[in-house]
Formats: sequence, structure tokens, C-alpha cells
Amino acid sequence: MFKNYLKIAWRNVYKNKTLSLIHILGLTIGITVCMMIFIFIMNEFSVDNFHTNKQRIYRVMRNTNAIKGSIPYLSGPYATALLSDFPADIKRAVRVEASQGLITFDDKSFAEKKLYIVDNDFFQLFTFPLILGNPASVLQDPSSVVLTETAAKKYFGSANAAMGKVLTLDKKQQFKVSGVAKDVPVNSHLEFDIVVPIANYVNDDGYKRWINNRLYTYILLDEKTNKDNLEAKLPQFMENHMGKDMARFGTKFSLSLTALPDVYFEKVSSFDNVKHGDKTVVYIFISIAVLILLIACINFTNLSTIRAVERSKEVGLRKVLGALKNHLVLQFIGESILLTVISCALSIGLLLILMPWYRELLGYQLSVSWNAGPIYLFLVGVILVIGFLAGSYPAFFLSAFSPIQALKGKLRLGKGGAFFRQALVVVQFSISLLLIIGTTVIMNQMRFVKNQELGYTKEQTIIVPIDNDEIYNHRQVFKKELEANSNIAAVSLMSGEPGGYHDVHSFNVEGQNEIFKAHTEFADFEFVKTLGLKIVAGRDLSPQFSTDSTDAALINETAAKRLGLTPEQALGKLVKNTVRDDKPRRVVGVIKDYNFLSLKEGMDALVISPSDDRRVAVIRLKPGNLKASVQAVKQIYGSVAPAYPLDFSFLDQKFDTTYKTDIRQQTMLTIFSGLAIFIACLGLFGLASFTAVKRTKEIGVRKVLGSSVANILLLLSKDLLKPVFVATFIAIPLGYYFMQAWLQNFAYRTPLHWWIFAFATLLTFAIALITVSFKSLKAALVNPVRSLRSE
Amino acid sequence: MIKITNLEKFYRTEEVETIALNKLSMHVDTGEFVAIMGPSGCGKSTLLNILGMLDDPDEGSYVFNDIEVAHFNERKRADLRKHNIGFVFQSFNLIDELTVFENVELPLIYTGVSASERVKRVEEVLDKMQIMHRRNHYPQQLSGGQQQRVAIARAVVNKPKLILADEPTGNLDSSNGNDVMELLTDLNEQGTTIIMVTHSEHDARYSHRIIRLLDGQTVMENIMV
Repeated sequence: MFKNYLKIAWRNVYKNKTLSLIHILGLTIGITVCMMIFIFIMNEFSVDNFHTNKQRIYRVMRNTNAIKGSIPYLSGPYATALLSDFPADIKRAVRVEASQGLITFDDKSFAEKKLYIVDNDFFQLFTFPLILGNPASVLQDPSSVVLTETAAKKYFGSANAAMGKVLTLDKKQQFKVSGVAKDVPVNSHLEFDIVVPIANYVNDDGYKRWINNRLYTYILLDEKTNKDNLEAKLPQFMENHMGKDMARFGTKFSLSLTALPDVYFEKVSSFDNVKHGDKTVVYIFISIAVLILLIACINFTNLSTIRAVERSKEVGLRKVLGALKNHLVLQFIGESILLTVISCALSIGLLLILMPWYRELLGYQLSVSWNAGPIYLFLVGVILVIGFLAGSYPAFFLSAFSPIQALKGKLRLGKGGAFFRQALVVVQFSISLLLIIGTTVIMNQMRFVKNQELGYTKEQTIIVPIDNDEIYNHRQVFKKELEANSNIAAVSLMSGEPGGYHDVHSFNVEGQNEIFKAHTEFADFEFVKTLGLKIVAGRDLSPQFSTDSTDAALINETAAKRLGLTPEQALGKLVKNTVRDDKPRRVVGVIKDYNFLSLKEGMDALVISPSDDRRVAVIRLKPGNLKASVQAVKQIYGSVAPAYPLDFSFLDQKFDTTYKTDIRQQTMLTIFSGLAIFIACLGLFGLASFTAVKRTKEIGVRKVLGSSVANILLLLSKDLLKPVFVATFIAIPLGYYFMQAWLQNFAYRTPLHWWIFAFATLLTFAIALITVSFKSLKAALVNPVRSLRSE
Repeated sequence: MIKITNLEKFYRTEEVETIALNKLSMHVDTGEFVAIMGPSGCGKSTLLNILGMLDDPDEGSYVFNDIEVAHFNERKRADLRKHNIGFVFQSFNLIDELTVFENVELPLIYTGVSASERVKRVEEVLDKMQIMHRRNHYPQQLSGGQQQRVAIARAVVNKPKLILADEPTGNLDSSNGNDVMELLTDLNEQGTTIIMVTHSEHDARYSHRIIRLLDGQTVMENIMV
């Protein structure tokens, strides 16, 4: 009997090619999207799961009342102090400093971006397996270095060849390869190519100071230790070690512990340079997957019902010949499972083809392998759920008909059934419209942000990081030579370019009782000129005033406003950076607000002073020959820091980096909403063909009685578009609500214009109308004699 | 074999109630060949549906082989039907997606006959109907006469005691029609009871007895000589 079902199912698929194609195509796309998202989510949730001790490892986070969110950076002394203060609770404390350096071996040298400076039990705390070397001793010797397999191959051809070789770091320090680690898996929040022991640096001043943002600290708790109990003891720990400093800076620091599996999804302030995921994105993805699958399922149900009606004769006959209701239910569910299986098989093929492109879209390699069990489990789940869900409505619906009705082909889809189907179409189009609204709002917001007046010159401006000793030591020469070049308009060395690093410090301000917290910029005298900032009161910093470098500062308008002063009133006020300066500086100028933070963060107070802290060189080129200007910068950099390759970026491209996640979300959403509406339209097309066939006689009679083609087109399309119309009333308020919430992420946001909703609605209608008219027109054009004869 | 007494059947729409069968009584003996005739709308098809247990009456009694079936539920009716009754329709009603062989095999599947037995019986009956050479064709590849022969083959494959034929020659030309009537006559001679609804006086002459219906009632019975 089962063979008979399978046979007839297959022949039905084969016979009705268009409908089968719609049927299978819709489901295939739906399943493929879901699998893509499933793989992505599995990957996101697998991060750091490979560490054997993951339940007991925590990253120590620092919180201050100065800024929102936790800071992952601690200074050197924390780890040792934690170990000695809590010997029973903390079994290991490993510091990890993400650094970079120039590595040289023979004539090969590479600027390594992923160099970790760590405590020597790094490989015992974390489960990064070693191919060669013993985890317990591999970093024991301060002059040892561990490479990943890829790095070892790069320098020496193979892991074995690397052992015992000596590498030079930044042209001065020698390290001997003592071990080779397996490459760091993609699903690790820590990423390194080269690991050197921290023992080489612990005596540096920077390591000994308690106040310093320098490195991550991971601790391994004792099996019996409760995290909350330990956290409760940390305020006292801070008081013991940092009490004086905190009182002096007027800042309250506290510590908290983040479990290793939570680090990846942790919401932290900027500048946490480990790999992070965004739970919101994960949730958006899950929602999209569910929505698209829902659309596909609805299609499936609607189309199955339609097909089943066309097969009413078969159903009737089977009943006459003795089939019971459950025989038929089984048959139809079986068919729907067969179609789902075909779709799943096609999805796997499609996914294989799309995988490289998908990786690119996501921006990283997925670690989840193809042949992983969960994927197949997922597929089996999809087959059962969709097969049953989508198949059961037509199955029960059809098997309930009396055989006589069915035989006469008089299977009227009852009013209730019609309502149900229309409701399903409403759901489909609500989802599609919702996704289109979402996409439009995101695109609009991105365009808004991109065109936002940022308050500084971002065109033709290059950022060169000052990230190695050579360029740092010769930064003044670098600057002088650039200034002397005819292609360069201006150069400034600073702590952070717009959108870059602007630490929050505490200030004592003349006439204010409370500590004033502001972002800081440490820069030379060319800062204002290079970025094209505007002075609204007072003057720029200038070498003509001999005391400017120690006594002067600029503030922005927001800072003045926060202090309750007009720009003019702010001039001459004394401000003292409690972290950096011994004596106060005088405000000599107020600059017009410019967006030194990303537009998500909005405007904040900023104090610019000529103190020492040079992290980047911002170089404004003269308009004209861009290529020659870049070449000039390259050449000068090469003469100043010959060992290091120049690594520069354009200031206006920083936009793309800052909003990477948002742009990626936009791309994904565009693609997925496109697919959603495509699948929904497939379903509508199916419904349109069904209506056209069902109403053949009516159309014939109407034409005989003198109706025009246009009238009939209107008649058919009107009914089909009704659900789309209803959908707009559901999707628009929902879209408004969700997108309003999404826009809260941005400090500068475009309003939700009415035209966004109008556009999305019109677009949906247009697409639906085209889909429907295609079939309706065909039906309307048929010679009425033919349609009447077929009755 | 069949005895119906005061059978009533109404069709209701929202406003109108139509009486299809009005206190109809009749009986059919085992081995008989009965033709039911009457103008359109007289209740012929309704009667046939009730006789075939595809529909149940609103009032009255229907005794089939000494069993009262008037108020059987669907499952019981289906069970009784598939073992005892074969159907032949005017429009053949073959399943387009199944081959000749598979169409004939279908009733055997639902009565749970084993696969090897099915092949034997289907081949036997196809042979008898002289359409063995068409066994792997699909219905639309056959002429009307051939399709009706397949339909008859399907009706008899289960060796039913009763065949209900609803205008079996209605869609056929006269030559093919005569062939079908010969087939039915042969079956009847071999012992199968046949009840046939027809408009054709010519076809009715093959039967033993004609029951004429008007407005849901028996108006006349002719015994054929």
C-alpha cells in the first residue's frame, strides 16, 4: 500500500510540473535559509565550548562609575594580587596581553598582528592543544615562544622544523620556539598566532602600576568555589589595593567575573579587542529563520490543499473502493513528507553551492562542519515537522469529504476553509511586508548616518597607526618629512582619530565641586587644523605660546554645556586631569562639537590637551593625485620604519568598519526579505492559478454576457489581493514598533518617515499584483467557448 | 439480497428542501439484473448511492444480505462495501496517475490481499476483459470503450456479489456500449447481481426487470421476458 502511495505521489509531482516546482522551490529556499541560519547559530553558541575547564574559568572585568559597561582591561598587578589574596578560591590567574610585533627569522620578517603576551600557565588554563611541547613547561623559560601550526609553517615550513629555532621580536629580543599549538579554532574568542611569556615584561613600569588599561586577566576557580561568594569579596579587595587611588581620582572601580562561555556574548564598552558576538543579531536571525520557514510552510499547506482539491476524484474513488479516512490521511501526509525530503535534499545541494558566498557575507569562517550530527538532526526535524504540519491540513480536510461529493468533483472548499487559507496568506504577506519595512528603515538609517555632518574633514585623510617602536621613536621625523612633502596638507599625531580611542578620565574643574568626567584626546598642535575643526571661542593650541604644551587645553561645546558654561565663560577656566597631569591646564579654546565617537554613542564631553600619548598619525592629503600622495606616505614611512610594512586606512572608510555589523545586518535582511517575499509570491501564484481554474466557467459566462478582459482581471485580482491589503494593517504597526526599538541603538537617527511604510506597502502590492495578473490575464483571455465546454 | 422499505432521503440547502427519495420500497434477489430508469432528477443516482452505501438514508430500512445497514457508520459501511460491491461509472472514474494494472489492483490493496495474489487476480481479470496488452498504459492513452472495460475489471476484481452500474454506456458509442452490456450480461450469468441505472431503453433490455422511478417513487416495474 505504501508503495502505491509513493508511486502516486511521485507521479503527481511529475505530472503537475509547475505547481510541483513552486511547491518544492518554496520549501527548498525556506529550508536552505533555515539551515544557513542554523549553522550560524550553532557556530555562535559553540564559541569557547572546547575549553575543558570552561565551567571554572572567568574573565575579570572592571566596572567604573565613569562609563557605562564593563572594561575588560586590568593592569599587571591584579593577577598576582588575586592569587595571593584568594589562594583557596583562585587556582590560576593568567594574564593575556594582545599585542603585535615584527617577527624576523633569517631574511623573512612579518608584522604579526596576533601576538599574545601571557603567563606561563596559559596552555594549562585554556585548552589550546599543543602539537609539540608540554603545556606545563612550554612557556617556563622567558625566552621561549609558541607558534601556531600555520605560523610555524610560514616561517619554517613545518611544525617539526620550527622546534628550537630562534626568532627575533621587534629586532631586539630573541625567542626560541619551544612548542607548536594547533591553529586556534574559529569559535574561540581569543585569537593568536604567536605566544610569548609575560615574564619578559613584568618588570616594566607599565606592568607594576595599578592604574593601567593593559591586559585581560582570566582566573580558574577552585572546584568548590562559588563565583558569587568570591565576587562578594572583591569590593574589599579593591579597597585594599586601590582605595587610595580611587579616592584620589574620585572614581569607583569594582570587579566582576564573567564566565568563559559568556565572554563572547558579553556587552562591553568599545575596545575589547577579542572576538565578540551579538545576541541581538542571533535573535534577529532566529526570528527571520522562523518567519521564512513559516511562510514556506504556509505555501506548502495552501498549495497542497489546492492540489488535493484537484485530486478530489482520486480521493472519492479511493473511498468508494474501500479506503478509510486514516488511509487517506496517511497518504497525504506521506506525500507531503516525500516533498519535504526532496526539498531537503535540494537544500543540502544548494547550501553546498552557497557556502563560500555565505562565509563571505558573514565575514568569517564557520567552524561548524558539514557532516556534523546536529545538522542531520535538524533536517530530520524539519522533515517531520513540516511534513506533518504542512501535510496534515489538506490530509484531514480532504479525507473528511463524502465520496459522492468528491467523485462529482464538487469539492467545494468551504467558507471556513477559504477563510483559513486567506488568513494564511495574510500571515505570509504580513511577514514579507514587515521584513521589507525593516530593510527599508535600516537602509535609510545607514544612509542617514553616512551623510551625517560629522564636524571634521574625513575626505582624503589617511590614518597611520603608530604601533611599533621604530615608528614611535621616529614619529617626529615622520611628521616633519610628511609636512615637507608637497602632496600632504597637514599631519597630526594623536591618541585617537575620530571614532577611535578616547579614554574617559576624571577632571577637577575650577568652580565645580564634583569630579567632571570627560573623554580625552592627547594631540599635538596640528590637531585642529588637520581634522578641520572649528573654534567657536578662544584660540587653537599653538607652539607660539611656549606654555601651551603644559598649561593649555581645548574643550568641546558639550563639555562647556555640561559644566553649565557658555563657550565664552569656559575660556580661562582651570581643568586638571586627575590621572595624567600634576597641575591644572587653562581652557584656551572651545571647539565646535564633532563626532569623535561613533554615531551610535552620540556626543559627549571632550578635553583635548597636548599631553604625551601618540597612537595614530592622521594625515590629510592635498586634493588631486591620491595615488601619488599615498605613495609619498608609503615612501616616507619606509624610510623611517623600514622593517615594518605600512598599514594605513582612510578616515572615511572607517565608517564601514564602525558599522560593519549594521551593514552586514542590512545586507542579510535585504536578502532574506527578498527571499521571503519571493516565497510568498510563489504561494500567491499558486493560489492565482487555482482561482483561475476554479472560476473558468464563471469567466466564460461573464464573457459571453459581455464582460471585458479588464473587468475580469479586476474581478480576479481584487479577491486575491484582499489578504495582502489586510496584511498591511498588521505589518505596519508591528514594523513601526520593531524599527523604533532598533533605532534606539543610534544616537543620531532618522525618523520613521511615513513614506517608508508607503513605499514598502506599494512594493508588496506591486509584486503581488504582477504575480496575480499573470495568471488572471491568462484566464481572462481564454475564449469563452472553450471555458464553457470544459465544464 | 436487497430489501429496502419506505426509504426517504432529503437534500437541504438553506432555504429549500428537496425530496430525492419518497418512501421508496423495492427488493432485488441474488442473481438478478435490474435496470433503474426515469427522467433526470427522479432520484436514480441517490438510490444507487444508498444501495452502494456511499450515502445513508434519512428514514426507512435497507437490508443487505439480511443485515440492516441503514444506520451503519462510515467505517462499517466501507468494510461491507469493499468486500461485496463493485462500481461502474458513466465517466469511468479511473485514476489518471495509475496504470491500468494499478487501477484494477487498487480495491485488492484496500481489502488487504497479498501482493502475489493481487498480481494473479488482476492478470486474470484483465485477461478476461481482453485488455491485458494495455496493462502498463495510463487511462488517457485508452479509448473510452477500453477505459470502461478497465473500470469493469476493477469493479469485479474483488469478486463482489453486487455490481452497481451508473449509466455505464453513457459516454460510449453504440458499438462499445454493446460490448460493455455483453460483459455485464456475462458477469450476471456467472452469478453476479447487477443493478444498473440507465437512460437507454436499449441497454435496459439486457436486464431482467426494469424499475421506473418518478419523483423519488417507484411508478412501474416491467419484467423482461
